Amino acid sequence: MTLAPSILFHIGSFPVTNTLVTTLVVDVIIIALVIVFNRCLSLYPKGIQNFLEMVYEYFYNSTKEISSKVDIISPWVITFFIFIVISNVLGQFPGFETIRFYAAGSGEEGVPLFRTATSDLNVTLAFATISIVMCHFYSIKYTGLKSYIGRFVSLSPIFLFVGLLEFIGEFTKVISLSCRLFGNLFAGESVMGTISSMSLKIFGISIPLPFFAVPVPFMMLELMVAVIQAIVFAMLTMTFMSIMVEKH
Amino acid sequence: METINYILNLFGLEGNLFIAQVINFAILLIILKIFLYKPIAQILEERKAKIKQGLDDAENAKKALADADNQKTKILKEAKVDADKILENTKASSESLKQQSAQDAKKQATEIVDNAKKQAQDEFAKASKQVGSMSVELSKKIVAKILSEIFTEDDKNAVLAKAVEKIEQGGYEKTTN
Repeated sequence: MTLAPSILFHIGSFPVTNTLVTTLVVDVIIIALVIVFNRCLSLYPKGIQNFLEMVYEYFYNSTKEISSKVDIISPWVITFFIFIVISNVLGQFPGFETIRFYAAGSGEEGVPLFRTATSDLNVTLAFATISIVMCHFYSIKYTGLKSYIGRFVSLSPIFLFVGLLEFIGEFTKVISLSCRLFGNLFAGESVMGTISSMSLKIFGISIPLPFFAVPVPFMMLELMVAVIQAIVFAMLTMTFMSIMVEKH
Repeated sequence: METINYILNLFGLEGNLFIAQVINFAILLIILKIFLYKPIAQILEERKAKIKQGLDDAENAKKALADADNQKTKILKEAKVDADKILENTKASSESLKQQSAQDAKKQATEIVDNAKKQAQDEFAKASKQVGSMSVELSKKIVAKILSEIFTEDDKNAVLAKAVEKIEQGGYEKTTN
C-alpha cells in the first residue's frame, strides 16, 4: 500500500484517484441519507431521523456550550463529522482494497478501486485548510480586522513573540489536523492489509490464517478509531472556531 | 525544492485533487445546510414547542384539577352547612308546629268542652224551664182537683192564684223542701 492514492484514470489532465472515487461514493451515501431523512421526516422520529438528530443535537449543544456563534460554527463541525465518519467506517466494508482496477501501468495486480478517502493526504489537508481558513474568516468577520491582527501583532516584545508563535501555530494546526487524520487512517488500513495477508509457514507449507477471524479484533479497533478520529477532527474545528470568533 | 517535490509525490499531493476536495466539501456543506440542518432545526424547534405546550397543558390540567377539587370540597362543605341549617330549621319549625298543633288542639278541646258545657247548661236551663212550667201546670191541676173537693169556688180560686204565684216565684221548691 502506497502513501499516495492510486490514479485510476485521467479526465483531461485531472487525475481520478481511488480516494476520489470513494469520496463520490461517500457523497452519494450522504445525499441518499438526506433524501431518506426528508422523506421520513416526522415530529416523532424513528430510524435514520433519530440517528441524524442525535448527531446534530450532540454537536450543536457541544458548540453552544463553548461559543455564542453556534449557528455559524455547528454546520461546519457536523459536516466534517458526517463526511469523515462515513468515509472512515466505509473503509471497513468488504471490497475496499480488494476490488482491483487495472489502470494503465498498474501491473498485473492492478490498484484498489476504492480506498478510504481520509487515508489520502489531499482530502485531510483540504479539510484542515478549510477548517483553519474559515476560522480566520469568521475571526475577521465577527471580531473585526483590528482585533484579528491584534492576535498576532503587538507593540510589547513579549506579546509580539507570543503573536509570532500564534502565527506559526496556525500553520501547525493545519498540519496537525491533516496528518493526525491521515496517519490514523492510513496506519489502520496498512495494519488491516498486513493482518489479512498474513500466513503461517509450517514445514515450508504456507497456510493462510482464517481471514474472517484474525482481522476481527483489528476491525473493531479500526471502527473505534474511525469514529474517534471523526469526533476529534470535528471537536478541534469547533474549538478553533470558537476561540477565533471571540474577541482577543 | 527537490525535497518538497519528493514529499508531494510521496503523499500524492496534487493541486487539482486538493481543489476538488475543497469544492466537494463546499457543495456537501450547502446541501446539508439546506436539506438536513435546517429541517432538523425546524423539527427540533417544533418538537420543543409541542413538548412545552404539552407540559403547560399538563400543568394547567393539574391546576384545573386542583381547582375543581377545591371547589368540590368547598361545595360539599357549603352543602353540608346548608343541609345542617335546613335540618336545624326543619327541626325548629317541626317543634314549633308540634307546639302550635298541641296548643291548637288544647284550645280546640277547651272550646269543645266549653261549648259542650254551655250547651249542657242551656239544655239544663231549657229543661228546667220546661219542667218548671210543666210542674206549675201539674201543680195547678192537682191543687185544683184537691181544692175543688174541699173549698168553695172563691176560696179555691184565691188559693190557686196564690199557689200559682208562689210556684211562679220559685216558692214551690222552697215550700216542698
